[in-house]
Amino acid sequence: MNTYDDKWEDRINALLDGELSDMDADALKSEATDDRELARAIIEAYQLQRAMDAIHVERAPASLRKRLNKIPREQRAESGFRLFQPRWAMALAVIPLAIIAVNLMQPDTPSADEIAEARQQLAIAFAYLDKAGTITGREIESTVGHTMADALSGSVNRTIKFTNEHSKEKEV
Amino acid sequence: MKEYQDQAWTVARYILKDAQEAEDATQEAFVKLWNNMDNIDPERVKPWLMKVTRNGCLDRLRRRRDNVEFDESHMAGEVSGPMQGAVANEVGIWLKRAIAGLKEPYRSLVVLRDVNQHSYEEVAGMLELNLAQVKTYLHRARKQLREQLAEVRP
Repeated sequence: MNTYDDKWEDRINALLDGELSDMDADALKSEATDDRELARAIIEAYQLQRAMDAIHVERAPASLRKRLNKIPREQRAESGFRLFQPRWAMALAVIPLAIIAVNLMQPDTPSADEIAEARQQLAIAFAYLDKAGTITGREIESTVGHTMADALSGSVNRTIKFTNEHSKEKEV
Repeated sequence: MKEYQDQAWTVARYILKDAQEAEDATQEAFVKLWNNMDNIDPERVKPWLMKVTRNGCLDRLRRRRDNVEFDESHMAGEVSGPMQGAVANEVGIWLKRAIAGLKEPYRSLVVLRDVNQHSYEEVAGMLELNLAQVKTYLHRARKQLREQLAEVRP
Protein backbone atom coordinates (compact mmCIF):
# COMPACT_ATOMS: atom_id res chain seq x y z
CA MET A 1 0.00 0.00 0.00
CA ASN A 2 1.51 3.33 -0.94
CA THR A 3 1.47 6.64 0.85
CA TYR A 4 -1.27 7.96 -1.39
CA ASP A 5 -3.58 5.14 -0.35
CA ASP A 6 -2.82 5.75 3.31
CA LYS A 7 -3.60 9.44 2.97
CA TRP A 8 -6.79 8.62 1.18
CA GLU A 9 -7.75 6.18 3.87
CA ASP A 10 -6.90 8.72 6.55
CA ARG A 11 -9.35 11.21 5.06
CA ILE A 12 -12.13 8.66 4.55
CA ASN A 13 -11.77 7.37 8.11
CA ALA A 14 -11.56 10.87 9.49
CA LEU A 15 -14.78 11.65 7.64
CA LEU A 16 -16.49 8.62 9.15
CA ASP A 17 -15.11 9.34 12.61
CA GLY A 18 -16.37 12.92 12.38
CA GLU A 19 -12.85 14.22 12.75
CA LEU A 20 -12.80 16.05 9.43
CA SER A 21 -13.63 19.75 9.48
CA ASP A 22 -16.67 20.81 7.46
CA MET A 23 -14.43 22.42 4.90
CA ASP A 24 -12.27 19.32 4.51
CA ALA A 25 -15.36 17.09 4.41
CA ASP A 26 -16.89 19.20 1.64
CA ALA A 27 -13.60 19.14 -0.24
CA LEU A 28 -13.45 15.35 -0.03
CA LYS A 29 -17.05 14.95 -1.18
CA SER A 30 -16.44 17.36 -4.02
CA GLU A 31 -13.37 15.37 -4.99
CA ALA A 32 -15.44 12.19 -4.90
CA THR A 33 -17.91 13.53 -7.44
CA ASP A 34 -15.06 13.62 -9.93
CA ASP A 35 -13.38 10.40 -8.77
CA ARG A 36 -15.52 7.27 -9.01
CA GLU A 37 -12.96 5.19 -7.13
CA LEU A 38 -12.96 7.61 -4.24
CA ALA A 39 -16.75 7.78 -4.28
CA ARG A 40 -16.99 4.00 -4.20
CA ALA A 41 -14.45 3.82 -1.35
CA ILE A 42 -16.47 6.32 0.71
CA ILE A 43 -19.73 4.44 0.11
CA GLU A 44 -18.13 1.10 1.03
CA ALA A 45 -16.62 2.68 4.14
CA TYR A 46 -20.07 3.85 5.22
CA GLN A 47 -21.49 0.38 4.58
CA LEU A 48 -18.72 -1.18 6.64
CA GLN A 49 -19.28 1.29 9.42
CA ARG A 50 -22.98 0.45 9.47
CA ALA A 51 -22.20 -3.25 9.62
CA MET A 52 -19.66 -2.60 12.39
CA ASP A 53 -22.26 -0.70 14.38
CA ALA A 54 -24.36 -3.84 14.46
CA ILE A 55 -21.53 -5.83 15.99
CA HIS A 56 -21.36 -5.60 19.72
CA VAL A 57 -19.10 -6.85 22.43
CA GLU A 58 -19.74 -10.56 22.94
CA ARG A 59 -21.34 -11.61 26.16
CA ALA A 60 -19.03 -13.90 28.06
CA PRO A 61 -20.60 -17.36 28.42
CA ALA A 62 -21.98 -18.42 31.79
CA SER A 63 -19.26 -21.04 32.18
CA LEU A 64 -16.60 -18.34 31.87
CA ARG A 65 -18.41 -16.00 34.25
CA LYS A 66 -18.49 -18.78 36.80
CA ARG A 67 -14.76 -19.37 36.40
CA LEU A 68 -13.97 -15.66 36.62
CA ASN A 69 -16.12 -15.16 39.69
CA LYS A 70 -14.19 -17.92 41.43
CA ILE A 71 -10.84 -16.20 40.88
CA PRO A 72 -10.88 -13.84 43.87
CA ARG A 73 -11.72 -16.71 46.20
CA GLU A 74 -9.12 -19.03 44.69
CA GLN A 75 -6.46 -16.34 44.70
CA ARG A 76 -7.22 -15.51 48.31
CA ALA A 77 -6.77 -19.15 49.19
CA GLU A 78 -3.54 -19.25 47.23
CA SER A 79 -2.24 -16.04 48.75
CA GLY A 80 -3.14 -17.41 52.18
CA PHE A 81 -1.08 -20.48 51.42
CA ARG A 82 1.77 -18.29 50.25
CA LEU A 83 1.67 -16.36 53.52
CA PHE A 84 1.77 -19.63 55.34
CA GLN A 85 4.76 -20.88 53.38
CA PRO A 86 7.42 -18.65 55.00
CA ARG A 87 6.19 -19.78 58.40
CA TRP A 88 6.82 -23.33 57.38
CA ALA A 89 10.19 -22.41 56.01
CA MET A 90 11.04 -20.61 59.23
CA ALA A 91 9.88 -23.55 61.32
CA LEU A 92 11.97 -25.92 59.22
CA ALA A 93 14.98 -23.64 59.53
CA VAL A 94 14.58 -23.42 63.30
CA ILE A 95 14.87 -27.20 63.79
CA PRO A 96 18.54 -27.56 62.77
CA LEU A 97 19.35 -24.33 64.60
CA ALA A 98 17.79 -25.72 67.75
CA ILE A 99 19.78 -28.95 67.39
CA ILE A 100 22.98 -26.98 66.93
CA ALA A 101 22.18 -24.79 69.94
CA VAL A 102 21.46 -27.80 72.15
CA ASN A 103 24.73 -29.38 71.06
CA LEU A 104 26.63 -26.21 71.79
CA MET A 105 25.12 -25.99 75.25
CA GLN A 106 26.04 -29.53 76.11
CA PRO A 107 29.56 -30.25 77.52
CA ASP A 108 32.05 -31.44 74.98
CA THR A 109 32.26 -35.19 74.63
CA PRO A 110 35.92 -36.13 74.94
CA SER A 111 37.60 -37.89 72.11
CA ALA A 112 39.28 -41.31 72.50
CA ASP A 113 42.72 -39.66 72.63
CA GLU A 114 41.58 -37.30 75.35
CA ILE A 115 40.26 -40.23 77.39
CA ALA A 116 43.53 -42.13 77.01
CA GLU A 117 45.52 -39.08 78.04
CA ALA A 118 43.29 -38.48 81.04
CA ARG A 119 43.63 -42.12 82.09
CA GLN A 120 47.41 -41.84 81.87
CA GLN A 121 47.43 -38.68 83.97
CA LEU A 122 45.14 -40.31 86.47
CA ALA A 123 47.47 -43.32 86.70
CA ILE A 124 50.41 -41.02 87.36
CA ALA A 125 48.43 -39.17 90.00
CA PHE A 126 47.42 -42.43 91.68
CA ALA A 127 51.03 -43.62 91.62
CA TYR A 128 52.09 -40.35 93.18
CA LEU A 129 49.42 -40.64 95.84
CA ASP A 130 50.44 -44.25 96.47
CA LYS A 131 54.04 -43.17 96.96
CA ALA A 132 52.97 -40.20 99.04
CA GLY A 133 50.90 -42.52 101.18
CA THR A 134 53.88 -44.79 101.81
CA ILE A 135 56.13 -41.83 102.67
CA THR A 136 53.44 -40.39 104.89
CA GLY A 137 53.17 -43.76 106.65
CA ARG A 138 56.94 -43.83 107.30
CA GLU A 139 56.91 -40.31 108.67
CA ILE A 140 53.94 -41.09 110.89
CA GLU A 141 55.67 -44.34 111.99
CA SER A 142 58.76 -42.48 113.00
CA THR A 143 56.67 -39.97 114.82
CA VAL A 144 53.81 -41.88 116.46
CA GLY A 145 54.66 -45.58 116.12
CA HIS A 146 54.13 -48.60 113.81
CA THR A 147 50.46 -49.40 114.59
CA MET A 148 49.26 -45.93 113.94
CA ALA A 149 51.36 -45.70 110.78
CA ASP A 150 49.81 -48.90 109.41
CA ALA A 151 46.35 -47.64 110.13
CA LEU A 152 46.89 -44.30 108.39
CA SER A 153 48.86 -45.76 105.51
CA GLY A 154 46.19 -48.44 105.00
CA SER A 155 43.47 -45.81 105.06
CA VAL A 156 45.23 -43.69 102.39
CA ASN A 157 45.93 -46.72 100.22
CA ARG A 158 42.32 -47.91 100.49
CA THR A 159 41.10 -44.46 99.55
CA ILE A 160 43.43 -44.38 96.53
CA LYS A 161 42.39 -47.91 95.51
CA PHE A 162 38.68 -47.05 95.83
CA THR A 163 39.06 -43.82 93.85
CA ASN A 164 41.00 -45.66 91.15
CA GLU A 165 38.38 -48.39 90.80
CA HIS A 166 35.54 -45.93 90.89
CA SER A 167 37.14 -43.92 88.12
CA LYS A 168 37.57 -47.05 85.97
CA GLU A 169 33.93 -47.97 86.44
CA LYS A 170 32.91 -44.50 85.30
CA GLU A 171 35.00 -44.81 82.19
CA VAL A 172 33.41 -48.09 81.35
CA MET B 1 -16.50 -5.98 36.03
CA LYS B 2 -18.96 -7.74 33.72
CA GLU B 3 -18.14 -5.21 31.04
CA TYR B 4 -14.47 -6.07 31.35
CA GLN B 5 -15.25 -9.77 31.23
CA ASP B 6 -17.22 -9.34 28.01
CA GLN B 7 -14.56 -7.20 26.39
CA ALA B 8 -11.71 -9.52 27.31
CA TRP B 9 -13.73 -12.50 26.14
CA THR B 10 -14.48 -10.76 22.83
CA VAL B 11 -10.79 -10.09 22.22
CA ALA B 12 -9.87 -13.68 23.05
CA ARG B 13 -12.69 -15.09 20.98
CA TYR B 14 -11.77 -13.17 17.86
CA ILE B 15 -8.07 -13.91 18.12
CA LEU B 16 -8.21 -17.57 19.13
CA LYS B 17 -11.39 -18.61 17.29
CA ASP B 18 -11.85 -21.37 19.82
CA ALA B 19 -14.34 -21.02 22.65
CA GLN B 20 -12.59 -23.25 25.16
CA GLU B 21 -9.18 -21.72 24.58
CA ALA B 22 -10.68 -18.24 24.68
CA GLU B 23 -12.20 -19.02 28.06
CA ASP B 24 -8.84 -20.25 29.34
CA ALA B 25 -7.03 -17.19 28.00
CA THR B 26 -9.60 -14.84 29.53
CA GLN B 27 -9.35 -16.59 32.87
CA GLU B 28 -5.56 -16.36 32.78
CA ALA B 29 -5.76 -12.64 32.10
CA PHE B 30 -8.10 -12.12 35.04
CA VAL B 31 -5.86 -14.15 37.35
CA LYS B 32 -2.96 -11.90 36.32
CA LEU B 33 -5.14 -8.88 36.89
CA TRP B 34 -5.99 -10.09 40.38
CA ASN B 35 -2.37 -10.80 41.20
CA ASN B 36 -1.23 -7.38 39.97
CA MET B 37 -4.17 -5.36 41.21
CA ASP B 38 -2.03 -3.45 43.69
CA ASN B 39 0.37 -2.31 40.99
CA ILE B 40 -2.17 -1.14 38.44
CA ASP B 41 -3.55 2.37 38.30
CA PRO B 42 -7.32 1.91 38.81
CA GLU B 43 -7.97 4.07 35.78
CA ARG B 44 -5.73 1.86 33.64
CA VAL B 45 -7.28 -1.46 34.57
CA LYS B 46 -9.28 -1.87 31.38
CA PRO B 47 -6.44 -1.15 28.93
CA TRP B 48 -4.11 -3.29 31.07
CA LEU B 49 -6.56 -6.16 30.98
CA MET B 50 -7.11 -5.91 27.22
CA LYS B 51 -3.38 -5.81 26.61
CA VAL B 52 -2.71 -8.82 28.81
CA THR B 53 -5.60 -10.73 27.26
CA ARG B 54 -4.36 -10.02 23.77
CA ASN B 55 -0.76 -10.90 24.59
CA GLY B 56 -1.89 -14.14 26.21
CA CYS B 57 -3.90 -15.01 23.11
CA LEU B 58 -1.00 -14.26 20.80
CA ASP B 59 1.26 -16.47 22.94
CA ARG B 60 -1.28 -19.25 22.60
CA LEU B 61 -1.36 -18.74 18.85
CA ARG B 62 2.40 -18.98 18.70
CA ARG B 63 2.41 -22.17 20.77
CA ARG B 64 -0.30 -23.55 18.56
CA ARG B 65 1.84 -22.94 15.49
CA ASP B 66 4.88 -24.42 17.21
CA ASN B 67 3.00 -27.61 17.97
CA VAL B 68 0.23 -28.78 15.78
CA GLU B 69 -1.33 -26.58 13.19
CA PHE B 70 -4.68 -25.60 14.59
CA ASP B 71 -7.62 -26.81 12.60
CA GLU B 72 -9.61 -23.71 11.82
CA SER B 73 -12.18 -25.55 9.77
CA HIS B 74 -14.42 -25.70 12.84
CA MET B 75 -14.91 -21.97 12.49
CA ALA B 76 -17.45 -22.59 9.73
CA GLY B 77 -19.67 -24.41 12.18
CA GLU B 78 -19.04 -21.90 14.94
CA VAL B 79 -20.49 -18.89 13.30
CA SER B 80 -23.15 -18.70 15.95
CA GLY B 81 -20.66 -19.50 18.72
CA PRO B 82 -18.46 -16.44 19.07
CA MET B 83 -21.09 -14.17 17.65
CA GLN B 84 -24.10 -15.43 19.53
CA GLY B 85 -26.53 -12.77 20.47
CA ALA B 86 -24.75 -10.16 18.40
CA VAL B 87 -25.96 -10.02 14.86
CA ALA B 88 -28.50 -12.23 13.26
CA ASN B 89 -28.07 -11.05 9.72
CA GLU B 90 -25.69 -12.55 7.25
CA VAL B 91 -23.52 -9.47 6.82
CA GLY B 92 -22.90 -9.33 10.53
CA ILE B 93 -21.96 -12.97 10.67
CA TRP B 94 -19.76 -12.61 7.64
CA LEU B 95 -18.11 -9.51 9.08
CA LYS B 96 -17.25 -11.21 12.33
CA ARG B 97 -15.62 -14.04 10.49
CA ALA B 98 -13.78 -11.57 8.29
CA ILE B 99 -12.46 -9.73 11.34
CA ALA B 100 -11.37 -13.01 12.90
CA GLY B 101 -9.55 -13.78 9.64
CA LEU B 102 -7.47 -10.59 9.65
CA LYS B 103 -3.79 -10.77 10.48
CA GLU B 104 -2.30 -9.20 13.56
CA PRO B 105 -2.23 -6.40 14.55
CA TYR B 106 -5.11 -5.54 12.23
CA ARG B 107 -7.49 -7.98 13.89
CA SER B 108 -6.79 -6.71 17.39
CA LEU B 109 -7.08 -3.12 16.25
CA VAL B 110 -10.50 -3.69 14.71
CA VAL B 111 -11.75 -5.65 17.71
CA LEU B 112 -10.47 -3.14 20.25
CA ARG B 113 -11.49 -0.01 18.38
CA ASP B 114 -14.55 -0.95 16.31
CA VAL B 115 -16.05 -3.79 18.35
CA ASN B 116 -15.06 -2.94 21.93
CA GLN B 117 -15.21 0.79 21.17
CA HIS B 118 -12.03 1.76 22.97
CA SER B 119 -10.61 5.16 22.12
CA TYR B 120 -7.67 5.47 19.75
CA GLU B 121 -5.51 6.52 22.68
CA GLU B 122 -6.50 3.48 24.70
CA VAL B 123 -5.85 1.17 21.78
CA ALA B 124 -2.46 2.77 21.28
CA GLY B 125 -1.61 2.03 24.90
CA MET B 126 -2.89 -1.54 24.71
CA LEU B 127 -0.91 -2.38 21.60
CA GLU B 128 2.12 -0.25 22.47
CA LEU B 129 1.83 1.69 19.26
CA ASN B 130 1.73 5.43 18.72
CA LEU B 131 -1.48 7.12 17.68
CA ALA B 132 -0.40 7.55 14.06
CA GLN B 133 0.45 3.85 13.78
CA VAL B 134 -2.89 2.87 15.28
CA LYS B 135 -4.75 4.97 12.75
CA THR B 136 -2.69 3.82 9.79
CA TYR B 137 -3.00 0.12 10.65
CA LEU B 138 -6.66 0.44 11.50
CA HIS B 139 -7.38 2.20 8.23
CA ARG B 140 -5.63 -0.56 6.34
CA ALA B 141 -7.59 -3.17 8.23
CA ARG B 142 -10.86 -1.44 7.50
CA LYS B 143 -9.89 -1.14 3.84
CA GLN B 144 -9.31 -4.89 3.68
CA LEU B 145 -12.69 -5.54 5.25
CA ARG B 146 -14.34 -3.03 2.99
CA GLU B 147 -12.94 -4.67 -0.08
CA GLN B 148 -13.97 -8.10 1.11
CA LEU B 149 -17.41 -6.82 1.97
CA ALA B 150 -17.78 -5.34 -1.52
CA GLU B 151 -17.01 -8.76 -2.97
CA VAL B 152 -19.66 -10.59 -1.00
CA ARG B 153 -22.34 -7.94 -1.29
CA PRO B 154 -24.73 -8.46 -4.19
